[in-house]
Formats: sequence, C-alpha cells, structure tokens
Amino acid sequence: MFKKWDFIIIIALLCLSFIPELIFGLSLDKSSTGNYASITLDGKPYKTIDLTNHRGEEQFPIETEHGYNIIAVRNSSIGIIEADCPDQLCIKAGFIEKPGELLVCLPHKLMIEIKTDASTAGLDVIPVH
Amino acid sequence: MNKTFRLVFISLLAAQALLLYGIESLIPLPFIAPGAKLGLANLITVIALYTLPSKKDVLGVLFLRLLLSALFFGGLSAFIYSVAGAALSFLSMIAVKEFGRDKVSIIGVSAAGAVFHHIGQLLVASAIVENTALMLYLPLLSAAGIGTGIFIGIAANFAVRHLEKLPVFRNLSAQ
Repeated sequence: MFKKWDFIIIIALLCLSFIPELIFGLSLDKSSTGNYASITLDGKPYKTIDLTNHRGEEQFPIETEHGYNIIAVRNSSIGIIEADCPDQLCIKAGFIEKPGELLVCLPHKLMIEIKTDASTAGLDVIPVH
Repeated sequence: MNKTFRLVFISLLAAQALLLYGIESLIPLPFIAPGAKLGLANLITVIALYTLPSKKDVLGVLFLRLLLSALFFGGLSAFIYSVAGAALSFLSMIAVKEFGRDKVSIIGVSAAGAVFHHIGQLLVASAIVENTALMLYLPLLSAAGIGTGIFIGIAANFAVRHLEKLPVFRNLSAQ
C-alpha cells in the first residue's frame, strides 16, 4: 500500500514545516530574561505587560466589537481564562511564558505574543560595550 | 462515463463530503494546536481525484462542499479559511499525484494535501491578525496533518480499490 515516494514526501513535508520555526528561531533568544507579553487587537498593539517582574495573579477583561476575553497574568505566565468565542481554543491553549509563544483568539482577532526585551537581553551578551 | 452519471457522481461525492464534514465537528478531539482536525472531508476529495476523469470535476466537488459547509455549519469566516486551505491542498495533491505518477500512492497525496491545507489556513490567519509569528504553529499542525493524512490515505486506498471493480470505472486510466 505504501510506496517508496510516500516516505520521501512525508519527510520532505516535515522538513518544510520547520522552515518558519528556523526563520523565527534565529531572531529569538530564548534564554534571555526580560520577557514581556504584547497584546494586539486586529493587528494593532493594544497593551504590553512586563512578565519577568510580575508576581501573583491579576485578571483583566478585553472587550471588542467581536466579543470579550478575560486575560490572566499568573506570575511570569499569561493566559486567557474566559471568552465568549464559539471554539474556546484560546482557553484550551493554556498559559504561555517563553519568548516566541503565542495565544490567538481568531474570532476576536486578539493575539498575545511573548517577546523579549532586546536591551536587557543584550546586556549579558555584549558586556564589552 | 456519460454526462448524467458524471453529474450524479459529483453530487454524490459532494454530499458525502458535506456529511463527513458535519460528522467531524461532532467528534471530540484532544487539543493539539488551533486548527488541528481530522480532515475527514479530504477523504472524498482524494477519492474524487482518483476516480473522476477531469480535474475540473474534482474542483467542482471541492467547491460544492466548501460552499455547502459554509451554509450549513461554518459561516463566512470559516469559509475564508477553508477556501485558502482547500486551494493549496488541491494544488499540492495534484502536483504530488502528477509528479509522482505510479511511484507515489494515495497516502503520499493525502498527507501532502493535509499539510498544505494547514499552510493555507495559517497564511489566512496570519493575514487576519497581521502577524506572521502564527506560522510557528506549522510543525505541530503538520505532524498532526501527516498523521491524519496517512489514515485518510489508507481509507481512500480501500475505497478506490473497490470502486475500480465497478464497470463504470473499469477503463479509468484510458480516459
């Protein structure tokens, strides 16, 4: 049933799927400590939250014309705990804390991305300057 | 294959695909990544690709299913994702099928279709939130897509093998 090219195609597809990972991976420094969450609505920046120095739990709602999401910041991680979207995928995705990780609520065009602060991360790498 | 048979067969396939699409939404799945799904409707697209004589007819089956599923289940936003996914998936399946000829089986074709379906959907989703970082979900989705694609391919293999026994499809390769 399987033919030889099937395996070649499957391996090629797997390699292909890592291309975006490579492109973004090179531009991210995952070991750095200055993390912040950037929340965008409809592609426009809405709010940034410092995660590295955050302790305890904090909740706030975001309301748009599409619906609402309740965002929770738990120590240095961030997640969506309630939303009125039909699929609830953003809640199932859980909490995120590493740079490059994403939370998306497509029906509300809301996106949370963990970014790292280049200025604080750079200090450890190039101390000579 | 006369004209009436062709039309009826296209409609039948579209109806089956629509039903599979509906059943799929009733099956609970563990959460892997946003957008990951079984892709049962792709089973019909693959079968159509191997049984219908012209690519235009396969496109007809696909488009009918997309349109009807948007009317019955999804709505407009789901339709946009589906169209992008289906278009890329259709093109990639034809490319693999034509390029591989007899060296590639239905399994390879269906796995390619599944992966490119996800690529199409991610591209649209990236355009909607205006951030290309969404493409980072691709490895997860591809792995899930290849998994389901292999099973869809195996199922399609059985179906096509039995369909070929019908007198109507006997001289398929000649057409």
